[in-house]
Amino acid sequence: MIFGKKNRNFSDAELMQQIVSGDQAAFNTLYHRFKDRMYYYFFRMLGNSSEQANDFLQELFMKLIEKPESYNPDYSFQTWFFSVANNMCKNEYRRREVRKEYQTLEALQTKLDYISETSVEPEQLLEKIFLTLDQLGEEHRAAFLLRYREGFSIKEVAEILDLPEGTVKSRLFYAKKILAEKLEYLKEEIEF
Amino acid sequence: MTKKNSDQLYTDLLQNDRIGKPSNAIEDRLMYSFMLKNSRMKMKQNSFGHFFGWLFSSQSLAIKTGLVSVILFVSLMNNQINIGSGTISPSDTIFAKRVLVADSTSFIQSLDSLRTDSLN
Repeated sequence: MIFGKKNRNFSDAELMQQIVSGDQAAFNTLYHRFKDRMYYYFFRMLGNSSEQANDFLQELFMKLIEKPESYNPDYSFQTWFFSVANNMCKNEYRRREVRKEYQTLEALQTKLDYISETSVEPEQLLEKIFLTLDQLGEEHRAAFLLRYREGFSIKEVAEILDLPEGTVKSRLFYAKKILAEKLEYLKEEIEF
Repeated sequence: MTKKNSDQLYTDLLQNDRIGKPSNAIEDRLMYSFMLKNSRMKMKQNSFGHFFGWLFSSQSLAIKTGLVSVILFVSLMNNQINIGSGTISPSDTIFAKRVLVADSTSFIQSLDSLRTDSLN
């Protein structure tokens, strides 16, 4: 790797300032700092498609190249970056919505297959969780991913999703409630 | 057996979820795009566009008028000092000078000769 060695200790906001003044090494460092996290977010938000996740990742960083000055250094870079990524996902959902039928909660309840096995591998469990989240909707999935994968606080999740904290809490509560029903068989091991 | 908190379960599951890595080609494309944007920006910084824009705009008229006056004054003065310089005369200037310049010694000589003549 040619770039990135001297920039390792800079904060995200400092790197952004260097990017505004045209520092390619700073951009490289920031890319390596965030590429996996953003790729994962897009992958899980856009229906587990690696092709789409790659396209969206590239588009996200292209936005950073084209308009780095749109970031306000007074705010957290992570929060801002994830909110940009989330807006891209929202636009994609809107585009898809034209072709998609609205799913009612009743329909969802009948569609979800309940996990009945006594022991499940983590991969299977994750698959079931994302299947459930996919059917719940992107708002619940985004809140869930940001909270449990990225470890953001409720306040930060609310900032990223541009929602009141109460709404985030209720979405997480609802997602967990539905998941608890699906993971009923694990009630001996897990405190829901 | 102690029960595991559901928040902890989801955190553990999601943070250990491995889905692979993004394509390396993205990095190459992004670096190229950054370089391209950077070079465009540098070219813009080095161009005279900004200077010409200022020159032909209506701002800082006093400064511009002052500058033009100074340039005109200097060029006129320069012409007056070096008048005739650089022009080629068809006649031999050295010879012309000899003819035109009065040689006072020859006057004295002739006067002297007159005096000696009168004395003789």
